[in-house]
Amino acid sequence: MRLVPAVLIFLASLLPLQAAPLPADEAFALSASRDADGRLQLRWDIAEGYYLYREHFRVTGARTGEPVPFTATAGERKEDPTFGSVEVHYGEAVITLSETPAPPLEVSYQGCEEDGLCYRPETRRVDPETLTITAASGAGGAPSGWREGEAGSSASLTPSPAPASGDAGFVAALLAEGGQLWVIGSFLVFGILLAGTPCVFPMYPIVAAALGRQGERLTVSRGFSLSAVYVLFLALAFGLIGAVAGLTGENLQLVLQSSFMPGAVAAIFVVLALSMFGLFELRLPAAWTTSIAGATAARGGSYRGMAVLGFSSALIVGPCVTAPLAGALLYVAQTQDWRLGAAALFALGIGKGIPLVILSTFGSGILPKAGRWMETVSRLFGFAFLGSAIWLAAPLLPPGLDLALWSALLLGLASFALAASAAAGGMGFVIGRSLAASAGLYALILALGAASGGTDPLQPLAHVARAGDARGPDVAFGEIGGEAELQATLADGSAAGRSTLLYFTADWCVTCRTIERRVLPVEAVRTDLRPLRLLKVDLSEITPRKQALMEALGVVGPPTMVFLGPDLREVSGTRLVGTVSAESLSGSARRAGGA
Amino acid sequence: MIDRRQLLRLSAVGSGLLVLPSALAFAQTGLTVEAVLYDPEAPVLGNPDGDVTVVEYFDYQCPYCKKGHPGVMEAVRKDGNVRLVKKDWPIFGDVSVRAARLVLAAGASGRYEQALESLMATEGKLADAQVDATLQGAGFTVARLEEAYRAHAGRIDRLLARNGGQADAFGFRGTPSFVVQTTLYPGVMGEADLTEAIAAARS
Repeated sequence: MRLVPAVLIFLASLLPLQAAPLPADEAFALSASRDADGRLQLRWDIAEGYYLYREHFRVTGARTGEPVPFTATAGERKEDPTFGSVEVHYGEAVITLSETPAPPLEVSYQGCEEDGLCYRPETRRVDPETLTITAASGAGGAPSGWREGEAGSSASLTPSPAPASGDAGFVAALLAEGGQLWVIGSFLVFGILLAGTPCVFPMYPIVAAALGRQGERLTVSRGFSLSAVYVLFLALAFGLIGAVAGLTGENLQLVLQSSFMPGAVAAIFVVLALSMFGLFELRLPAAWTTSIAGATAARGGSYRGMAVLGFSSALIVGPCVTAPLAGALLYVAQTQDWRLGAAALFALGIGKGIPLVILSTFGSGILPKAGRWMETVSRLFGFAFLGSAIWLAAPLLPPGLDLALWSALLLGLASFALAASAAAGGMGFVIGRSLAASAGLYALILALGAASGGTDPLQPLAHVARAGDARGPDVAFGEIGGEAELQATLADGSAAGRSTLLYFTADWCVTCRTIERRVLPVEAVRTDLRPLRLLKVDLSEITPRKQALMEALGVVGPPTMVFLGPDLREVSGTRLVGTVSAESLSGSARRAGGA
Repeated sequence: MIDRRQLLRLSAVGSGLLVLPSALAFAQTGLTVEAVLYDPEAPVLGNPDGDVTVVEYFDYQCPYCKKGHPGVMEAVRKDGNVRLVKKDWPIFGDVSVRAARLVLAAGASGRYEQALESLMATEGKLADAQVDATLQGAGFTVARLEEAYRAHAGRIDRLLARNGGQADAFGFRGTPSFVVQTTLYPGVMGEADLTEAIAAARS
C-alpha cells in the first residue's frame, strides 16, 4: 500500500489559487495618524502587485467641498508610452496635511492592480479628531444614488468579525454549555452518529482487506488492536488537517477534492482488487513482497502499515463536510484556538471509527481462517474493492456508464459465485448459487437500465416507469458563480419578496448525491421548496469568486444549504450542513419561506 | 445531550451576523438581462445576431483595458457568433468622459468602431489633446464630433449613467469588468479566458 504519493500530491495542491482582485480596502489599506508636529497624516499600505497614482490623491472638506492642501511622499516613475510617465506608489504612500481644516474630511484616491484591474476612485471620510475612517457617500464620478449600494457590497466581501459567543458558534455553544471536555465528548458522539453515512463507507473495505491479509494469525485481539491503530491514526490525521485548515483558512477538503482525487483513489482500489484476485502477487516488486512477508513475520510491520493506512484514509474520509466538521473548522478560523478544534476533530474521527473497531473485532473472530474459504473471502474483497472504485469514480464518468460497470461487476461476481459453489457442498453451495442468481439478475436489470438511458444504479429502470407519469419537473436549481450574480438574480423582478435557498454542492460530494436522489424528490420537500428561489453553487470547480461567497457566508464546503430572506439576510436557525433529512429540509424551507 | 436535529440547528454558524448588502439598492437599478445585454443605445460590435453577448465595462485611460482589447476582439472575431457590447465606464475622470462622449458621437455617423479602435490603440493615460490628435489621426474632425455629441448629448449621457449604474450595482470595483451572458467576470480577461467563458455560457 503506497498512499504516500497521495499525501504529497495533496500538499502540492495547497498552493494558492489565482486570486481575484482584492477589495479596495485590502489593496489600499488607509490609516490616519498625527506626526510629531501634530499634522494629520494619511497612510496607505499597498498590497504587493498593486499601485496608487500620486496625481489622484484629493483631500477636501466634506461640507465645504474646498480642496485641502497636502504634500505626498515621492512615488516611482512608471513609464507610460503615450503620456511620458506617471508617478505611482508601490508598497506605501503617505500624505501630510499642511493645515487642519474643520472636520470631517474626504480623501479620494485611485490605483490599479498591476496588469489587472484599475480601481474606480475610492473616497473615504476621515475624522481628524478621532482619526477614524469611514466609507464616504456621494463621491467619485458615479451617478448619485448608487454609491451606497457599492459601499455596501464591497463591505460584505470583507471577512466578517468573529461572532459574539453564545448561539452564533457551534463549538462556542458547546463550550459554554459544559467546557472543553463536553466539546470533545460531544464530537465523539457525533462521530459515532456519522459512522453510518456514505462518506465513511470506503473505510470498511480498506480495513477488511488489511485484516484479511493477516490470514491465519487473525484473532479477536489482533483484529481489535489493528483496527484500533488504524482508527487512531485516522483520527490523528483528521485533527491535524482540521487544525491546519482552520488556521490557514485554506479549505483543505475542497482543494483535496479535485476530480483528480477520487480518480486516483479509485485507481488504487482497482489495483488492490487485482491483488485480491491473485493477479499480481507474482509480479510485485521485491521490496513489496519483502514488506508483506516482513509483516507476517514481525508484528510491528503490520501495525505500522495500519498506521499509514489510517493516516492516508483521512484524505478519503475527511472531505465529507458535516455539521460538526464545519463547526470545528469555523471555530478554529475565528478563534485561532486550534488545540480545541484539533481535539474535537480527533474525537470526531475516533467516533467515526468506533463501529469499525467493533465490527473488526467480532469479524476477526467469525472469519474462517484457512483452506479454500480464505481464498474465496479474499476474492470477495476484490469484488468489494472494484465496487468501491466504481462508486468513487461514478461522478467522473458520463452518466449511465456506472450502471454498465456495475452490471459487468455483478456478472463477474455471479460467475465467480457459480464457480466457487460448484466445489462447495451443503450451505456453501446454497449460498453460492443464491448469490450468483441474485447478482446475475440485478446485473441484467442494470444492463437494461444502462441501455435504455437510466442513470441511477439503485433505480435503474425508474426512468422507464416515469415516462408515462405526469409528474412535474424535478426540483430545478439555477446556478450562480458568485455573490454578484446572487444579487443580479435577486434584482430580477420576480424575486421580490421571495426567500432564497442557496445550495452549495459538487460533483464529487457523496452526501450531495444522496440528498439529490433521496431528499429533494420527496413530495413534501418539493412542496415546501416551491415558494423559494432555488440557486446552487457548484463547487466542482472552485473559482476565487465562489470562494469569496463561501467566505462571506461562512460556508466550509458542500453540502451546505443557506436560506436567505428577501432582504438577503440568512434566516437564523435554518442552515443545513452535511446529511439532510426530508424533515429538516422541509422545516428549514418552511421557516425561511414564512420569514 | 444534543441530538442531531439540534446539532443541525446549532450549526447555523454565523447566521446571526450575516448581512449581505441590502437588496434595496438593486431594486432601483433595473439590473435586468435586457438592460445589461440589450441596451438599445449601446453600440454592438462582433455579430449583432450572435447567440452570446459579452459586455465589457472599460475606460479609455485604463491601461489594462487597452492592452487586453486586441485579445477580446480576436476571441469575438474567431467565434463569429458573439455580440460584443463595450460599455464606457469613465472612472479616470473628465478626459475619459470626453473621450467616451466623442466616440459614441462618432457612432451617430456609423463610425463607432473606427473611433473606438483608434483610442484603444493608445497606451495608459491620456490628455484631451491626445484624444483629439488620436481621433484626427483616425480621420475624424474633432469639431464635428463635438457637434454630433451636442446633438445627442442627452442620449449619450444617459447611456453613460446607465453603464456606471450597472457596474456599480454589480459591485464591480473597476475596469475592465466583463459580463458574459449572465456570468460576471471582474478583472482582465485574455483571449483564452474569454473564449472559455463564451463556451461556458453556451453549455
